[in-house]
Amino acid sequence: MTEAMIRVKGVTKTYKRGGESLRVLDRLGLEMEEGRFYALMGPSGSGKTTLLNLIGGLDVPDEGDLFVAGENLAELSSAELAHWRSRSVGFVFQGFNLIPVLSAFENVELPLKLTPLSRAERRQHAEHALKLVGLGDRMHHRPKQLSGGQEQRVAIARAIASDPKVILADEPTGDLDRKSADQVLELLVQLNREFKKTILMVTHDPHAANHAQSIVHLDKGQLGRIEELRPAAAAAR
Amino acid sequence: MASFQLVWRNLMRRPLRSLLTILSLAVAIFLICGLRSLITTLNAGVAAADNRRMAVMSKTGLFVELPIKYQATLDRLPGVEMTTKFQWFGGYYRSQKNFFAQFAIDPANLFEMYPECKVSAEEQAAFLGDRTSCIIGDVLASDFGWKVGDNVPLIGALHPHPDNKAWEFRVAGIYHSSAPNFDNRTMFFHWDYFEKTLEANGVTPGVGVFSMRVAQGSDVAAIKLAVEQAFEDSEQRVACETEADFQRQFVTMFGNIPLFVGWIGGGVVLAILLASINTMLMSMREQTVEIGIQKALGFTDGAMFGLLIAQALFLCLVGGGLGIAVAALTQAPIATWMAATFPGYAITNGTFAFAALVTLLLGLAAGAVPAWRARNLRCVEALRGMD
Repeated sequence: MTEAMIRVKGVTKTYKRGGESLRVLDRLGLEMEEGRFYALMGPSGSGKTTLLNLIGGLDVPDEGDLFVAGENLAELSSAELAHWRSRSVGFVFQGFNLIPVLSAFENVELPLKLTPLSRAERRQHAEHALKLVGLGDRMHHRPKQLSGGQEQRVAIARAIASDPKVILADEPTGDLDRKSADQVLELLVQLNREFKKTILMVTHDPHAANHAQSIVHLDKGQLGRIEELRPAAAAAR
Repeated sequence: MASFQLVWRNLMRRPLRSLLTILSLAVAIFLICGLRSLITTLNAGVAAADNRRMAVMSKTGLFVELPIKYQATLDRLPGVEMTTKFQWFGGYYRSQKNFFAQFAIDPANLFEMYPECKVSAEEQAAFLGDRTSCIIGDVLASDFGWKVGDNVPLIGALHPHPDNKAWEFRVAGIYHSSAPNFDNRTMFFHWDYFEKTLEANGVTPGVGVFSMRVAQGSDVAAIKLAVEQAFEDSEQRVACETEADFQRQFVTMFGNIPLFVGWIGGGVVLAILLASINTMLMSMREQTVEIGIQKALGFTDGAMFGLLIAQALFLCLVGGGLGIAVAALTQAPIATWMAATFPGYAITNGTFAFAALVTLLLGLAAGAVPAWRARNLRCVEALRGMD
């Protein structure tokens, strides 16, 4: 049996807004296997992004435990959590979230500055990642000189540059046209299939979700049904 | 550690804002250098004063003259080696705007009493040998283009010439002062010429200040007491001060200048600090989402603190460095420009170091608030653009 890459145990998260408490996740339990591509679906406010942020160590739960890529996140200090993120998780955001003052190459190289790699090695890794996403000829362009699809592909290159085990994508095709969205989804499928990355993608879009191997449904902060679309070896194209 | 590339690119995000902040900092640090130099220049005379020289003046004040005969009494007092008269002439060259100091003195003792007054032996001899001659400071000579052998006519505003004409002085030598307590923009001429010319009109001049040199190892306090007691029952009582105290009187004559200048300097620093903090807060606000991105990528809270501090430091060090450089480059022209009213203006190494320290502290203080906020920003909130 494949080992769980992500294990969520009894996680609760409550936000306070305008003096009212809003329980976004309610004693949620979930396991995700290593090397599998998951889509996380659910209506707005169901807790999808909150769960993604908790799994990525960007936020902390009020209750419960999170085990991701071999670490119990609750046991890590703020600095240890940052270090863990740098080596274990890659993020892809809906709004691309590239640093506008850096070129595509510099954006991809940025997380590599946290590694012990030499400058030449960083260059090699960043160039390789950009070529992998088909942007070898756009390395020195600033984000505003790229199309939305190209920006998202740079963001994916940045997410994989330091070779993390887990890629967390929050509505990665939400701001893209269908053609660009398909290119991004194909890339994620390729990363899962060829490089065995565990991918968790939040999406509203059933078409996007169909690229995953499993669809996890969330509703009102609780786990709904899990659809198994296909086995790991046969991801959609 | 903050990447210089990111620091630079973030500052160049709004080049005009960064440039204006740098220029404001440059002006502020330039002013700090200038203001502090006014104080150090004033105090330089006090610091460089010779501890064997003392000044004797009227107890009433500097503008009340003492009788010439007092010099003989002073010369006889135990511990006094030599004396010279100093009398303010108050003349001007062609126009009243051509102001500079002129003193009638006893030439025989001047060079021995003031070894910091450097003049060649040849010119010294020429000065001593001609009672209508004068020596002038090299800065004064340069200002008016005078050279040895020139005749300098001065209108005696305080001491008009008996024949209602200009006083004529031949430049016998040009001196250079090796110490800040001896001005390079002054004229010294013979007391005899001054006295004899005035006496032709029945006027007996008085003496503004007697300068005395006391013997090595003398008890200065005892001599001061002896001098003041010697004239206790005379027509003019006197005050006797060490040269340092005498110089200090000039510094305090205009009020508490160091305090006044300190207030202005403090105001300048506070104003630029607030402006720099504002710039850095605006910069940090623009970078809020990017701070969230970098934290998501694995940069620590401390790294974000460092990034913002580095930006503030870079801005301040460039601005402050520019201000210091401009202060250094303009030192000579400013010294010339202020020579008449503020002789000896110079920026000391201590002032440069002080300006560098202020620059560094400004950078740290300007960056501290935004850096602390960046450090404490929660990643998810920063990604939503909430600062």
